[in-house]
Amino acid sequence: MLQIFSSVMDGLLIGLVYGLAAIGLTLIFGVMDVVNLAHGSIIALGMFFLYLFFGAGLHPYLSLVPVAILGFFFGVIVYLIAVKRIISGPPLMSLLSTFSVSMIIIGIGTALWSTSPYNINFKVETYNILGYTVTSARLIAAVAAVLVTFGLYFFLYRTVLGKAVRAVANNREAAELMGIPSQQILAISFGIGTMLAMLSGALIATLFPFTILSGGVYELKSFVASVLGGLGNPTGALLGGIILGLIEGSVAPFIQISWTNVIEFVIFVLILLFFPTGLFGGRK
Amino acid sequence: MSTPILEVRNVTMTFGGLTAVDDVSFNMAEGEILGLIGPNGAGKTTLFNVINGVYKPTRGNVVFRGRDITGLPPYDVVRLGLARTHQIVKPLNEMTVLENVVVGACFGAENLGLEPAQYVAEEVLEFTGLLQMKDELAGKLNIALKKRLEVARALAANPRLLLLDEVLAGLNPSEVAKMLDVIRSIRDRGISILMIEHIMQAIMSLSDRIVVLNFGQKLAEGTPDEVANDPQVIEAYLGDPEMAKRILEEEEA
Repeated sequence: MLQIFSSVMDGLLIGLVYGLAAIGLTLIFGVMDVVNLAHGSIIALGMFFLYLFFGAGLHPYLSLVPVAILGFFFGVIVYLIAVKRIISGPPLMSLLSTFSVSMIIIGIGTALWSTSPYNINFKVETYNILGYTVTSARLIAAVAAVLVTFGLYFFLYRTVLGKAVRAVANNREAAELMGIPSQQILAISFGIGTMLAMLSGALIATLFPFTILSGGVYELKSFVASVLGGLGNPTGALLGGIILGLIEGSVAPFIQISWTNVIEFVIFVLILLFFPTGLFGGRK
Repeated sequence: MSTPILEVRNVTMTFGGLTAVDDVSFNMAEGEILGLIGPNGAGKTTLFNVINGVYKPTRGNVVFRGRDITGLPPYDVVRLGLARTHQIVKPLNEMTVLENVVVGACFGAENLGLEPAQYVAEEVLEFTGLLQMKDELAGKLNIALKKRLEVARALAANPRLLLLDEVLAGLNPSEVAKMLDVIRSIRDRGISILMIEHIMQAIMSLSDRIVVLNFGQKLAEGTPDEVANDPQVIEAYLGDPEMAKRILEEEEA
């Protein structure tokens, strides 16, 4: 019984990190209708950025700050180079364009770090709460994911820039006619989405070993979580991530780990069939 | 005479082979209500789009308060104090009425922060009679209220000149009357208004002057009376000048 409880708790904590990754994906989709296929490789890049800062002697949690800043600017640059020109084109163009970005990141990453696994070795405390054993790394990752999500909500609902982002997401043309320079807002939004993806990658890197190809798994999880919560809905994406984590946690004690993907994607297909706008309502 | 608030100088706008606006010029004085009328497809909305920067004109210039704004993007034009509403309303559906107007105030001529913008927004909502529904989602409003929201949003930008594109269309008579009151009180605040309208009675009673477009060209310009009795204008609207004359004579008899 305790083992199941532990597993579910672990699932919940990691689910929050999945949720953070999914918010990055869903935010970009919600604001500009671009499905960012570079999401996974950006997550992996977040892992390696953390690795670099850690290697330079910074504490992993302190390294999150430069990773976030780097993530934002990386996103803005990707937007300006690969997305801006095709933002009004048919959806296939942005799919191909972001997929190319993904291939470029993975190509360069493989050249720099090969595809062998890396990990972040730092001192992790272990706590025992009523028989449930949890590492400080897992707790902090979950708390950080929640804090970043709160930060995002504060930004979107309580700042002028955030209102502009929501206005552009609602109706780009109308926003522009109300005095909002939409291209700048789109670049900022892509930057924020990328920042969230990199942060989630960095948090995952504090928990598990990773390779430059690790992003793919988390990209898929982000898709499932976003669709669960309704594409374009950040709260939904977070809840989707939590649900995903809980499912993983609750099936893990009973079946082989490789089955979790099967279960997740069966759920994914069922959601698409029966709740195409997600469990919590999509953007439209 | 002081500088006109708006000068449209020889504006031509072509789309491929189609000339939507053809060498149109007119001036607007500060504080004036200028009506822009013409049959469907005359180029009125295209001209609006040129004035507020949605399109860059093929030829010609738009001068706002002495400054050439030709080709400036719409978001810069708003900040200079030239706001507009749309024939097909464009509310930010998933934001509340208040938020819609707050966004207008934040990114308008004053570039306000969130708190002062809130204050301005409430004042504008009160003025346009939308204050009771400030927490509704904009997408849930009916068409009459959405049109008023368009006006409120444009006003929140604190414009010197307001372009109104068919704000009366689709409204029932009592809603039209309310909107006319709103428009008059906007003018009383010293804001100049350039409006497109199909409801003749309304535009004739509101406007100080009227510009008539037909097939992209300026057909006539003058006071409502002058324009209404211009045979060319009557022909454009009714097609046959002889018949138009007969109708007019019958009316006078």
